[in-house]
Amino acid sequence: MIDSTLIFLGFSVHAWITIFTVVSIFIVMSRSRIPAEVAFLGALTILLVTGVVTEEEGMAGFGSEPVVVHAAFFVIIAGLMQTGVLYWLTKNVLGDPRNYKNALLRLMVPTSIMAALLNSVNVVALFIDAVKIWSRKLNIPPSKLLLPLSYAATLGGMCTLLGNSSNLVVAGLYMSKTGQSLNVFEPLLPGLVLTIVGVALVMLLHRYIPPHESAEQSFETTSDYTVELLVPTDNPAVGETVEDAGLMNVKGGSLVEIVRFDREIIMPVPKDEWIIGGDRLIYAGQINEILELKRTHGLAAADHHVWSINDIDTKRRMRTAYVTFGSELIGMSMTECDFEQKNNVALIAVARQGKRVEGQPREIKLEAGDTLLLECPPKGEDQLEQTNRRLLTFFDSHFVPQLGKKTITSAVILVLMFIISSFHMLPLMATTMLAAGVMMILGCCRITNVTKYIEWELLLILGATVVFSVAITKTGIADVIAQQVLQLCNGNPYLVMAVMCLLASLVSEFVSDVGASAVFFPIVYHQAELLGCNPLPFVMSLMLSVTLSFASPIGSSTHMLIYGPGSFRFTDFARLGIVMHIVLMVVMLFVIYAIYPL
Amino acid sequence: MNTTFKEENNDFVMYFEGRLDTAAAPQVEHETAALTDCTGHDIILDCSNLEYISSSGLRIFLSILKNAKPKGSHVYIRGLNDELRQVFSMTGFVNLFEFK
Repeated sequence: MIDSTLIFLGFSVHAWITIFTVVSIFIVMSRSRIPAEVAFLGALTILLVTGVVTEEEGMAGFGSEPVVVHAAFFVIIAGLMQTGVLYWLTKNVLGDPRNYKNALLRLMVPTSIMAALLNSVNVVALFIDAVKIWSRKLNIPPSKLLLPLSYAATLGGMCTLLGNSSNLVVAGLYMSKTGQSLNVFEPLLPGLVLTIVGVALVMLLHRYIPPHESAEQSFETTSDYTVELLVPTDNPAVGETVEDAGLMNVKGGSLVEIVRFDREIIMPVPKDEWIIGGDRLIYAGQINEILELKRTHGLAAADHHVWSINDIDTKRRMRTAYVTFGSELIGMSMTECDFEQKNNVALIAVARQGKRVEGQPREIKLEAGDTLLLECPPKGEDQLEQTNRRLLTFFDSHFVPQLGKKTITSAVILVLMFIISSFHMLPLMATTMLAAGVMMILGCCRITNVTKYIEWELLLILGATVVFSVAITKTGIADVIAQQVLQLCNGNPYLVMAVMCLLASLVSEFVSDVGASAVFFPIVYHQAELLGCNPLPFVMSLMLSVTLSFASPIGSSTHMLIYGPGSFRFTDFARLGIVMHIVLMVVMLFVIYAIYPL
Repeated sequence: MNTTFKEENNDFVMYFEGRLDTAAAPQVEHETAALTDCTGHDIILDCSNLEYISSSGLRIFLSILKNAKPKGSHVYIRGLNDELRQVFSMTGFVNLFEFK
């Protein structure tokens, strides 16, 4: 065990280990593709092994309120999804607006309300497809509606403890410090003001939202994509020249490259080049037309060698998917990984921000947000989506449930859950667990495989974050930083709160709201104690400021969800997001000062 | 990579020895020019000592076939080992050539 009494530059060895761990985790999360839960568990391991926290302290987070509430909430969401409540909502809230401004209002008001009740991430995930279809109907670029969707959900999520995951983390830490649990609607008033101001800002500054065409729409209309098709062994064209076989200039495109079975590349392709079985023919042109070659010339879309076109299931379907943020596929090409073999799919084409990517599709190193056109098996759609949900998001993912009695039952359970917890009849943890249990007992959610709906990665992150808070308090870091900031601000509580909110929101913009809240909570709480102030305004301002990350796609899980579907670039969020961040920060501080006496 | 051209029983026989890879292909293509004027002769490509064939090697074999067919000559392949036979099967070349 390391000697914790040794002091170096004002901090103990344990404090330095904590600082090093926290800073490295922030760097790892903003700069690498290591999954967040692995980074957090790694940090927990370091703090445990070096003796900074005890086993009991290290593991306490996994049984804490945020973890249990989230786990139960996943079951509730599964119930609402399976009984069709969420399906009904997405189908009926959007309507038929007159113009773009009207469409923004029709989108942002209901989604922000739903985010407050169902969690912002759930709402954005639900609405992405509906909004994309809606945007096509209204003839508005999808990005012009997806960004407001994400902003509205984040804003709405500020109104309740369940709205954003970080709210629950802050509430959980507050309870562990004070023994008092916060009401589920505690942040409602400031959250509501921020939501109204935020929605108004988006309406006012909507011209700063970039108009990007959706990538899969480009797959249908553009004349410039690269498509890869394989010549099966028994194809009659084997031994013919590309021209004689009618494979050189085809309807909608032309042959630009041949990749032989031994990976020899023929480019440019002369018209008298022979066709050999196992050749991969790379065409540039319009995808739909080129894919007709499968039917007319017996070519195949396949990741492996095909002996006969009859070996290929003709019922295989084309599906579009986006490479998600943090996906393991980023930086890899299909030939370098076993994704196609594992899932029995074949990559046909890749689009990046609605444009053609040069070269053989299966050799292209993928980036976050790339759109992939995949040929998939006719069955097992749900399984394909479930197994790969951390790698890809499928565009045409539609689960259409039957509406019926259970739809009403599950909606009633949700409403009752909010009533019971808002009147403090039961603690939030007990209420959500009760609601999840009733959902299962009344058959709104299938009991078998119920754990499938729980996102364990998020629970691990939430469980591990608590340890940061413990370590920062225990090693005296919170005390030192708190004192320093107090000195800098001459002990002015308003200024201290403003500085801490600004710092927390900046960290949240580049790392994650959950991580930022766990790190800043002990410092902010300690400052309130040192100043002799009521800690609640400090805690509430922290809760709200970590969710003010509008300027970067990694600042919020909802922004990451819309990044691919909206064909966004990294900097697209900054244009409107920086203004949102600054204005909402100022508004938030004034509202907190007005509502909570210090 | 070595090739030897012989005329045996009125057949043109080309012996291939070693690895017919992409690097060796241009030289082999040059040497197989001896088979171009094959009217009245069948052609035997003896692969008993051929260790490997790349796609560029297969293209040479195909050129020989495409040249010989209109002249009424047959092209036979002889002595393929298992590995080469698999390459011929996979590429569909087993359906194009005759085998001895």
